[in-house]
Amino acid sequence: MRKRAGYSIAFLAFVMVLTAGVGRAWAYFTTYASAQGGITIELGNETEIEETFSSWTKHLTITSDADSEPVYVRARAYGSGRYPLEYSGTGWQAGDDGYYYYNEILPGGGSTSELLVGIKGVPDKEIENGTTFNVVVIYESTPVMYHEDGTPYADWNVVLDNGASESGSAQKEGE
Amino acid sequence: MAGKIKKLITSPAGTLGAFALAVALLAFSSVGGARAALTYYSETYTSRVQMYDIGVTLLENDKEVSWRNYDSRKDNGSWLEEKGALLEDMVPEGEKFRIGAWYPEELKVRNSGTINQYVRVSLYKYWLDENGQKVQTLTPDLIDLELLTDNGWMIDEESSTDERTILYYSRVLETGEVSPAFSGRLKIDQSVTAKVTQTTEKTENGSKIITTYDYDGVQFCLEATVDAVQEHNVEDAVWSAWGRKVTVNNGILSL
Repeated sequence: MRKRAGYSIAFLAFVMVLTAGVGRAWAYFTTYASAQGGITIELGNETEIEETFSSWTKHLTITSDADSEPVYVRARAYGSGRYPLEYSGTGWQAGDDGYYYYNEILPGGGSTSELLVGIKGVPDKEIENGTTFNVVVIYESTPVMYHEDGTPYADWNVVLDNGASESGSAQKEGE
Repeated sequence: MAGKIKKLITSPAGTLGAFALAVALLAFSSVGGARAALTYYSETYTSRVQMYDIGVTLLENDKEVSWRNYDSRKDNGSWLEEKGALLEDMVPEGEKFRIGAWYPEELKVRNSGTINQYVRVSLYKYWLDENGQKVQTLTPDLIDLELLTDNGWMIDEESSTDERTILYYSRVLETGEVSPAFSGRLKIDQSVTAKVTQTTEKTENGSKIITTYDYDGVQFCLEATVDAVQEHNVEDAVWSAWGRKVTVNNGILSL
């Protein structure tokens, strides 16, 4: 009995020692303030090429879907090599890599001006004989990127990032 | 001799004596604190009402966003709190967020209480999908928040991770004082646009290309929590409140 009382007293003393500093710990003045926020990234884009053919000239217009992010556009045509191709069109500029680049940013819902690809020097004899040949047009679009100071630029590697040979391209056969 | 001591210790009288000694020690141990408290209060007796009012405010681009201030005069003491949102004004009205471009994101702390304090900030960066779940495949490093540490702020490297950064302000923040900015600007790295999937559809006049970005629709998030603690007895206060050992020499806190 006395032994149990001794244990109780010892336990009580132990608890008192443990809790001796609690009052002081609670006495510190503290506070906090927090805030959280986020912005959703919108990246999707869809573009569509429309072309007509008349007088041995392809008329190309590229349109961006209304919900699309702004994009840059470039295009080029491949022929049989027998007859030269001649490019023209307001707002289109030849690049060093054979592509023609549209100067402006194409916004969602916007369209490029016409890019004309003329097939030159086809002899009347071949036309009369009904000879056919293909001219394939390829175009690519890439999302508008921004430098750290906010100025826009095009990074054509982004389009090719998935490694597919058809990346960002469209093609159509013409006679 | 040893036998007598042993007998004394094991006797009921010895136990009671030891208990009485423990009680006496405990009683005396609180004298120091009580005396310190008396000194503390008596020094500030004339401004006693303001002594207890600790408060801190988070500022984003000089705009008050969140705060929690104690007001001892209201209802015998109550907290005045506001929790706002970050990044709300980052993109101007009518514009879209531009990936790769820097946006100002100056975060500061103001002592909105009536006692001096030391502060620290916990910053969290992460990505959420459309369902509000964290996107584990996108690294928080793509959320590039420029941290400023040559103005009194210092990063607690031991406690920081890819997602969380903890900064301490080494100087005391006096009543009403605004700290220097611990962040300057923010941008999203362009590699977030590098993952794309493209499909081609044949149309009447040609082809239609649909580019799907793997991370289209994800949300980048920034979260900031400011902790403030009293200047008085700050080393113990920081250890008790934040669980971090710090040293303060001549008012300068170091980790």
